[in-house]
Amino acid sequence: MGNLLLDLRIASRSLFQHRRRTLFLGLAIAGVTMLLVLLNSLSAGIRETMIRAATTLSTGHVNVGGFFKVTKSGGGPVVTEYEKVIAAVRRSVPEMEGLVHRGRGWAKLVSDLGSTQAGVSGVDIRNEPGFRRVIRLTSGSLEDLAQPNTMLLFESQVERLKVRVGDAVTVSAQTTRGTANTVDCRVVAIAKDLGLLSKFGVFVPVATTRNLYQLRPDTTGVVQIYLRPQYLPQAQSIAARLRGQLAALGWSVMEAEPQPFWMKFQSVAREEWTGQKLDVTTWDDEISFLTWTLDVLGWLTGALLAILLAIVVIGIMNTMWIAIRERTREIGTLRAIGMQRTGVLRMFLYESMLLGLAGSTSGMLIGLAVGSVVNAASLRVPITVQLFLMSDTLHLAMQGGVLFRALLLITLVTTLAALYPAYRAARLRPVSAMSHFG
Amino acid sequence: MHIPARCLVLGGLAAAVLVPRAASALGKPELVEILKAVDERQRNQGDWRSLVYMEQKEKNKVDVAHEALVFRRSQDQRFMILFTKPKASQGQGYLRIDKNLWFYDPSVGKWERRTERERIGGTNSRRTDFDESRLAEEYEPEDNGEAKLGAYTAQVMTLRGKPGIDLAFPVVKLWVDKDTKNVLKRQEFALSGRLLRTSYYPKWKKAFSESKKTDVWFPEEMRFYDEVEKANSTLILLKSVDMKPLEANLFTKAWLESKSR
Repeated sequence: MGNLLLDLRIASRSLFQHRRRTLFLGLAIAGVTMLLVLLNSLSAGIRETMIRAATTLSTGHVNVGGFFKVTKSGGGPVVTEYEKVIAAVRRSVPEMEGLVHRGRGWAKLVSDLGSTQAGVSGVDIRNEPGFRRVIRLTSGSLEDLAQPNTMLLFESQVERLKVRVGDAVTVSAQTTRGTANTVDCRVVAIAKDLGLLSKFGVFVPVATTRNLYQLRPDTTGVVQIYLRPQYLPQAQSIAARLRGQLAALGWSVMEAEPQPFWMKFQSVAREEWTGQKLDVTTWDDEISFLTWTLDVLGWLTGALLAILLAIVVIGIMNTMWIAIRERTREIGTLRAIGMQRTGVLRMFLYESMLLGLAGSTSGMLIGLAVGSVVNAASLRVPITVQLFLMSDTLHLAMQGGVLFRALLLITLVTTLAALYPAYRAARLRPVSAMSHFG
Repeated sequence: MHIPARCLVLGGLAAAVLVPRAASALGKPELVEILKAVDERQRNQGDWRSLVYMEQKEKNKVDVAHEALVFRRSQDQRFMILFTKPKASQGQGYLRIDKNLWFYDPSVGKWERRTERERIGGTNSRRTDFDESRLAEEYEPEDNGEAKLGAYTAQVMTLRGKPGIDLAFPVVKLWVDKDTKNVLKRQEFALSGRLLRTSYYPKWKKAFSESKKTDVWFPEEMRFYDEVEKANSTLILLKSVDMKPLEANLFTKAWLESKSR
């Protein structure tokens, strides 16, 4: 312990002695750490926002949806006898925090002044606590969505339909048997846009979707299961287990396919079966057409950091070579008075580690400060970015784990960068080192 | 026979407001007979080939126009549409096999099963608009009296889909020319009772059918007005009707695919 403290003291004194070099390298390390913290926080922030918005608007963490085909070509996203499905889910998913069921469909919305196509979700607003946390109304009332034939629209749809709260919108669709049907809905709430999903989705009471698609009261579109936070990373394995258990209980279950339900219409229509098939998906599957943005961001972050880390490694190695050259006589003297080779190795490694630790800690603190300012400022992002972000403001999620990992990674890389020069220094012979001039 | 569409529209309105209904109501058997006559006049009991021009007008959108060939065979209710213009949709087509309607797009080289109630080529027309009339088979009529439609006296009736038959429009109101038994006007309703589409048939033509050994009537012009999105309308023109026998292997996926190779 005493040796360790002594080694650390020598290392820190040496860093202090060469403060210009230390400052320069420390700043570079701090800059890289700050970037790493900000990029990771951005990626985590987008992911958090995406999951929150998606799991409110269109999916649970795990979903039991499916298709009911009346004929080989005709059918819709329908789950029959959904209460039995819910009972089976309750038995099979102990990790569940709660569940909701929603109607699903696709329809044309027509007002007096405009029209648009949209996915229609049927909700029972009294059992949707998540709605209030995510949906921000600009006018109207969410409670009114409990009344029959009412509708919640998002701002971009309102722009296309040119309607206000209180106006009527005709919802036109085909029933599962292909017969034309309409329902006139009154707009009771208008919400702020929530990215791409809100562009093509409207909410009506679940009874309205049943009426529009002529479905029985024991049908729904999807059972959305919400897991306790600690089980979120296991959504895929929970979905796989549930798939197996539903099949074992006698339901016909579709093969796992990482796609949102609306991308499966064509393949389902091509298949020859009729009747009910359940489809178990995760939130990741249902918004897979959006999560590629996270993958791209991940790749970009990785590539950028690899380049920056390479620069830092080269910088540290170069500095160490210079330091060793400058301090060759010192190394020789230390070796002559009894310092072991491992002692020399440790001395240089500690120097580099202290430099990395100080630099990355400062970088992490600067990153934390910048992130807090960005979050506090609620910076608005351009419309195109909003589509993928599912939020109109930038949110950086600065999680303790992410910060600690950044600090650890940078310190480790800087320490390892000094390994070879330190090894070469430790290999110097005391006699030749002491007689070194330069 | 040529009746300007505008005259039919105005005539229809005038008839509804000004002209009193005829006193004697027709019974169901008589109405069914009228429907059978409507169907029979259009049935050719053989093969059919015609060139179709479709034009779709929608609010705030560029007009869309297609040219296609329609093929039919009465015996086994075969039906096929092959798009020939514009270039972007050349080679696309619909093929009815049994009770399934398939769509082929050469750009992806795949067949997709579509509902029989599909909007053809993105217009407000359906497969039934190009196929043989089967009103008597599919609907139960109900008398709505007589009405004047321009210069024509029409028998008006409400048709409700028979149980077990999947129809795009479950309720249809029909104006049939009392003299010729040609359909003059048609209104289609949703299950909710909402009026969805009003169609006018201002031009009827006849052509001699070798297989039927008599004339077959067909609407040379059809105009569909969207009643939900009021500004949208579709014009369909049937040209070059030919009722000579078609090749035996015509109604196959392979034949339709070969047209885009």
